[in-house]
Amino acid sequence: MKVSLSWLEDYVSIELGVNRLADALTMAGLEVDSVKERYEYLDTVVVGRIVDIADHPNADRLSVCKVDVGGRMLSIVCGAPNICKNVLVPVALPGTRLPGGNTVRADIIRGELSEGMICSEEELGIGEDSRGILILSGSHRLGTKLSHALDLSDTVIEFDLTPNRPDCLSIIGVAREIAAIQKTRLKRPKVRLSEAKESIQGFTSVTIEDPVLCPRYAARILTDVHVTPSPFWLKDRLLSVGLRPINNLVDVTNFVLMETGQPLHAFDLDRLIENRIVVRRAQDGERFVTLDGVERILDSETLMICDGKRSVALAGIMGGLNSEIVAGTTRVLIESAYFNPSGIRKTAKRLGLSTEASYRFERGVDPEGVIFALNRAAQLMRQVGGGTVIHGLIDEYPRPVTKKIIYLDVKQTNRLLGTQLDRDEIADLLKAIELDVTVIDEERIRVVPPSFRVDLERPVDLIEEVARIWGYNRIPTTHPINLARGKRLNKRLRVRERLRELMVGCGFREVITYSFISADSCDQLSLSPEDSRRRLVHIRNPLTEDQRVMRTSLIPGLLYAVSRNIKQGNTDLRFFELGNTFFYTRSDQLPEEIEMICGIWTGNRYDKSWCYKDIQADFYDIKGVVENLCQGMNIPGVHFSSLTGNHFPYFRHGYAAEISCGSSRVGALGEISHDVLKNFALKDPVFAFDINLEILLDCIPDEKKAKRLSRFPGVNRDTSLILDKDIEAQAIISFIDGLHEELLEKLYIFDMYPLADDKKSLGFRITYRSFERSLTDEEVNRIHKRIVQKVVDHFHAELPRG
Amino acid sequence: MREDIEKVYQEALKGIENASSLDQLSKLRIRYLGRKGVLTGLLRSISSLPPEERPEMGRVANQAKKSLEKAFQTALERLEKEASLRTEAIDVTLPGRPIALGRLHPITQITREVCEIFLRLGFDIVEGPEVETDFYNFEALNMPKDHPARDMQATFYISENTLLRTHTSPIQVRTMERESPPVCIIAPGKVYRVDSDISHTPMFHQVEGLMVDRNVCFRDLKWVLTTFVHQIFDEATSLRFRPSFFPFTEPSVEVDIRCVICRGDGCRVCSHTGWLEILGAGMVDPAVFEKVGYDPDTYTGFAFGMGIERIAMLKYGIEDIRKFYENDILFLNQF
Repeated sequence: MKVSLSWLEDYVSIELGVNRLADALTMAGLEVDSVKERYEYLDTVVVGRIVDIADHPNADRLSVCKVDVGGRMLSIVCGAPNICKNVLVPVALPGTRLPGGNTVRADIIRGELSEGMICSEEELGIGEDSRGILILSGSHRLGTKLSHALDLSDTVIEFDLTPNRPDCLSIIGVAREIAAIQKTRLKRPKVRLSEAKESIQGFTSVTIEDPVLCPRYAARILTDVHVTPSPFWLKDRLLSVGLRPINNLVDVTNFVLMETGQPLHAFDLDRLIENRIVVRRAQDGERFVTLDGVERILDSETLMICDGKRSVALAGIMGGLNSEIVAGTTRVLIESAYFNPSGIRKTAKRLGLSTEASYRFERGVDPEGVIFALNRAAQLMRQVGGGTVIHGLIDEYPRPVTKKIIYLDVKQTNRLLGTQLDRDEIADLLKAIELDVTVIDEERIRVVPPSFRVDLERPVDLIEEVARIWGYNRIPTTHPINLARGKRLNKRLRVRERLRELMVGCGFREVITYSFISADSCDQLSLSPEDSRRRLVHIRNPLTEDQRVMRTSLIPGLLYAVSRNIKQGNTDLRFFELGNTFFYTRSDQLPEEIEMICGIWTGNRYDKSWCYKDIQADFYDIKGVVENLCQGMNIPGVHFSSLTGNHFPYFRHGYAAEISCGSSRVGALGEISHDVLKNFALKDPVFAFDINLEILLDCIPDEKKAKRLSRFPGVNRDTSLILDKDIEAQAIISFIDGLHEELLEKLYIFDMYPLADDKKSLGFRITYRSFERSLTDEEVNRIHKRIVQKVVDHFHAELPRG
Repeated sequence: MREDIEKVYQEALKGIENASSLDQLSKLRIRYLGRKGVLTGLLRSISSLPPEERPEMGRVANQAKKSLEKAFQTALERLEKEASLRTEAIDVTLPGRPIALGRLHPITQITREVCEIFLRLGFDIVEGPEVETDFYNFEALNMPKDHPARDMQATFYISENTLLRTHTSPIQVRTMERESPPVCIIAPGKVYRVDSDISHTPMFHQVEGLMVDRNVCFRDLKWVLTTFVHQIFDEATSLRFRPSFFPFTEPSVEVDIRCVICRGDGCRVCSHTGWLEILGAGMVDPAVFEKVGYDPDTYTGFAFGMGIERIAMLKYGIEDIRKFYENDILFLNQF
């Protein structure tokens, strides 16, 4: 919403400086978006002198002028009849955007160079003379900005208005707020109509068939009008707020719209069949061509303005081509109506058509302002279009909007705001914004809001007005007595932060990727047709194709992040993400949201440095990370097994493991398969883990319990075994664990290397320790030998010779 | 003679102390104590002295010789130690062995900071689903269908009645439905709006806050938000409270802070106003209380909401919000 200061000054004298004013309006709740000099667009229009005129060699009615713009001589082709040598003229330099919509360019015009444009008043939007170029009187320095030379200045303020304040969607509305801020008077325009004798009843009639969608419809008629371009003052007002003039009659409706906030429409009375108006709903599937030339398909929810036979306007939104004002129009019907806000909004949304009119109607115009605007338009049309105003008006108002009466309690007001205002202070604050206030008793006042304040309905709405006028910043700031009752953080929040710490400790960078991904990401991950991750939640109105569905896995987002970084030349990457995945359940239910944690590692094991060789990370690096996570979370019973089945098809076969905690399968880890890498334009190996946080949460013990530690030293024994290649390390570990040797404290594998004949050598170290005493060598040797023998027997292992 | 010995001795001693290499030292030795050395010459010439002077001069010269020998030995050890230290030293300017340094996403870091401040004030953290029903996201927050305020939040729809939440405010409603007052919560999380340019991403993060009890008033809201701003920025940051509109609060307020970039002089970041919008807030609208079955005559409350990206951009000096989701490692490495 734009207003110009010069227009505002018709209704209120502005006493504050423009910056103070903008600030005060912002603080009153009308947020000022920008304050701009209106004639900024003329910054590239300068004063020039025509020093020479020659005939255009290829065009009879054009001349080629040499124009001095102060130190520079320009060649400009001009067709104006009033050019002459040695006069001062406005020269629009290339790049100037004229109010008519054209941009001036340096160009060849019929073979002659033209480096700018000599303009008329009308072309510059500063006057109405379009017969020839503007010849400047007085003396000005060449090259001076035209706006300086002519002292053109006006300020345009643009507001970002909140939807609750439709009353400020007009110049008068803003002027009213300024008057309240300055405590000065609002000057409303006076309307005086001289009407003809003939009564409107002889010309037209209005029938409202749907009083819910159209509570009020008023009309007036003018005859013998002439459709012409508007006079300058009218165009100037419209241009100042960014509207383009069309013709005098239409310009008047736009002027009154901007002035009062009441949208109007002008019909050519002679193009209305039977010269009458019927307000009713459209038929389902009805087609109608609006003023912008677009054919629209309507439904029975759409309110239409019709004549005796057909639709002539989309009520409250846009007129129709079939009844618009045209050059030959002589009889005009002016519509001023009040339409149901949500009805207009529904239609405007459905048709995707938002206009100055619909924007106001859907927020709520002043139902009692309808007649004032109608009369104001009739007065102005007569003034700029001649003709006669027919006597009387039609005002169909089947359901008058009742005045609201609100009782405001002083105590309640102070209780909500934390203020100590007395009854009279509150009453005065509300009176300042034209509210009708009566004191009832010590504690209560009765308030009738003006009809234009459609947002004031309940006591709390008035309390806001009290706070607003009193000033939010004058309300004290105090410590709430109710604070500090915090509970323990829930487990998920605690676990999530701990996981983050652990991942950071492993050298991973956290990333956040979009929750929506492309629909083909399931195929990119090679998911089988029955994979649950194909239960996609689709977005109806995605911004782009690759944000079409909600993710069911974090892997694609991470792979994409990796690919993006590699394209930038950064190849050593360790990323992790914590976030939700979304699974379709039933159409009438919210999707299931499952939180996941995924990590991804590609490139070198160590950061590039003089002291490390370039060694690529491998499976055991990512596994180490997962082991760290599990240990860091004190999860008992974690084990890894070779991945089988089809649940993680994006991992490379034979290079992936399933992660379990006790009997819970929490996820998988491994190398991403070559096929999947290819889909993300990746070449080098990528390792990842994919863990379901919902399941992991249940595996994490709620409390950590300290164990009693032995005071006695531990004793180590190392043994190497030669085993069949396909005996998994885990099998040996589990077997030894299963022996439940009381003194065995710890077992770890310190060595592994492959041998010939499908054998391998596995070295493990066992630490023995007692809580009661220092163990003797013989005792340990005996136990160790027994364990090793059992392993050898069970796995048909051999001890290395020699 | 005595003076000669003394002179040679002092001269030699000075030379030894200043010697900076083993080579220099051995040359000095030859020069003074060698077979043709200066002191050796003096010693030899004692025989030509009168017999009664010889013992005394012999003693003096031998004393000098002994002292010099000792000085040579000390210097030798000093220089040898220096030499060996020189060969054993490492290049301490070589970079250290890198230990992979993990980092949290800047949004996580700011979310943590924000949450910690409110946790200290006694708020609890609550979360809710990212895909919401129209009811929780709009209706229950006093935004019926066809309410123009819905234009303020362009929405991604899943179906007629399900959508990606446009703010974390639905968590307010879910919490109030579940618990009776007093309620004192914050709700961090991802939110979604149909918008994408230098200052908007279709997904971003919010923290919502709600406090409901008997006698909670606007004054309290001002204290909580002032305290928050002073902790997340600094104590010197000035604030202003400006009337605004949200369908779920009345009165509604927009909180601005003095521009942290220009300190109020006006710059591009604050659109030359000197102020930055940082929070939306207000007293909970009675219509919202009615929807969740709280008695608006008994309870009052305030709610507030803020964008995490906005705060992160101001604190870290980031101009393009999209950087947060490009996940460029060079960007992430800065925080």
